[in-house]
Amino acid sequence: MRNYEIMFIVNPNAPEEDIDKINGQIENIITSGGGKVEKIEKMGKRRLAYEVDGQREGYYVLFVTGANGDIIKECERRLRVMDAVIKYITVRTDEEVRRMEKIKSYRQKRAARRGSHTSTASGGQFTEEATQ
Amino acid sequence: MKSAKEKRPAGQKQYYRRKKVCKFCVERIDTINYKDVKLLSQFVPERAKIMPRRISGVCSHHQRLLNDAIKKARNIALLPFSTE
Repeated sequence: MRNYEIMFIVNPNAPEEDIDKINGQIENIITSGGGKVEKIEKMGKRRLAYEVDGQREGYYVLFVTGANGDIIKECERRLRVMDAVIKYITVRTDEEVRRMEKIKSYRQKRAARRGSHTSTASGGQFTEEATQ
Repeated sequence: MKSAKEKRPAGQKQYYRRKKVCKFCVERIDTINYKDVKLLSQFVPERAKIMPRRISGVCSHHQRLLNDAIKKARNIALLPFSTE
């Protein structure tokens, strides 16, 4: 199982129910294939950086999922077929997350080591003062 | 200080250039997300080209991450490929 983010842009003229319907369909594909949907985020309407299908605006939707390649393939196929969806992108995120955790643990370890060092150093100072 | 500067022969101007530092290293940003348009757009000047390292001062590691993020963002129309 890998983590993916699927982001797609829906035609801004499409009614709200259509967006919900698309979300439902994609969610259904993922869950029925054995994946899990962690988050569905409707990012709302925003201006596109360039024209896509004659549109200057788009309704962004983001899926954060855990799934395998076959499910993602099916999702992409479905998104391609849907008329209301004007653009989509799938990004794999698990490698990024793993790397982030590695850095985090490394930093924590270092901070802990440094913390213990300073505490012992200060402790030493105190004893020195005491002897003086 | 000033007189020393004046004594310098013409054509050998001395610049006091500030050392550039990598924004991502300073602010401890480990991952650069393609959805963070506000951050990415700082490294995409008017012509929508990716700002070179020699100007922005970003370190090579972060420049690579930045590159990937900007290209992903372009794909989903968050950032422009070019300006018209």
